[in-house]
Amino acid sequence: MHSALVRVQNVFGFFTTVAFVVATIVALSVVVTPQAPSASVKLRNVQVVRGRPHYYSTKREEYAHIKFDLDADLTSLFNWNTKQVFLYLTATYPSLDPREPPSQAIIWDAVLPSLSAPLHHNQYIHPAKNGKASKGKKAPYPPGEIHLAAQRPKYQITDFSGKLQNRTDAVLELGWNVQPWVGALTWVNYQDFGVWKGLNGGKSKVFQFPEIRKRKEADLKTEKGGEGNRGKPA
Amino acid sequence: MADQLLETLRDAVEGQIDFEGQRLAELVTTVLLGVSGLIAFFVGYVQQDIYQTLWIGLGGTALTFIAVVPPWPFYNKNPVDWLPPHNSIADLRIDVDGNQVG
Repeated sequence: MHSALVRVQNVFGFFTTVAFVVATIVALSVVVTPQAPSASVKLRNVQVVRGRPHYYSTKREEYAHIKFDLDADLTSLFNWNTKQVFLYLTATYPSLDPREPPSQAIIWDAVLPSLSAPLHHNQYIHPAKNGKASKGKKAPYPPGEIHLAAQRPKYQITDFSGKLQNRTDAVLELGWNVQPWVGALTWVNYQDFGVWKGLNGGKSKVFQFPEIRKRKEADLKTEKGGEGNRGKPA
Repeated sequence: MADQLLETLRDAVEGQIDFEGQRLAELVTTVLLGVSGLIAFFVGYVQQDIYQTLWIGLGGTALTFIAVVPPWPFYNKNPVDWLPPHNSIADLRIDVDGNQVG
């Protein structure tokens, strides 16, 4: 510590140690913060049509368009160390070959920002209570509370085999990924873990994909997320 | 003149402090940084605001740099009493190849 340079090195060195220790404690503090998420997922409507789901599809195949109701209270996922929660809804159904694991496809997703997160155009803004887009980018509910009725999907789903009609035992499942400011990512949990309660609900009733409808008769509109802006500067 | 200027400049940049000052600087570093880290966590946790943790932590670090790095007068209160300089070979006669050199 005899010269200024040595003192700079010493102070900076100990600063990194303190910063690391504080960050560790912050990350661990999440484990003792109680969580009790609950969600209700309902299938509203499912249609299967045959065609090219995207302009870049190379072949005609069967694809499904799923509308759903979602009422979720995930407010307890937003503690002081939560930056954002990536929320997604998957459709899960058994594969044609019973030896294969079930197929899973995301039909809708959203980046739910916490109040401390800086604004970004990818973030999800909950529609107003009358179903219209929220004015002034202000969500009508606190972060993590979601009430969607007859929500259109963001993504139509296709199957590896190209066949989707009359497939059975499908279920909609809610999933998430909590992204903290400091610490580990955590995914949806159905089991209790300490003061973290498992997700209550979060799965729809089992349903079956219907027969193919004519494309013209079906309502195949999808929802666009804020990330539709990708490629453009923020 | 230029040498003298360079010497003052070097002293200012080196910022030497005495031995007691070094002990004190070490202590101040540990205490200030440690305490600001603790305060940062607790204030942030109580207020449920991680930005307060960040800014209190960084502010405490800046304060530590200001308190420790410059050679403040209180780090130089116990200057070392060096022995007076003396030339131990002044009284010797040194011959090299018959020529007196010392």
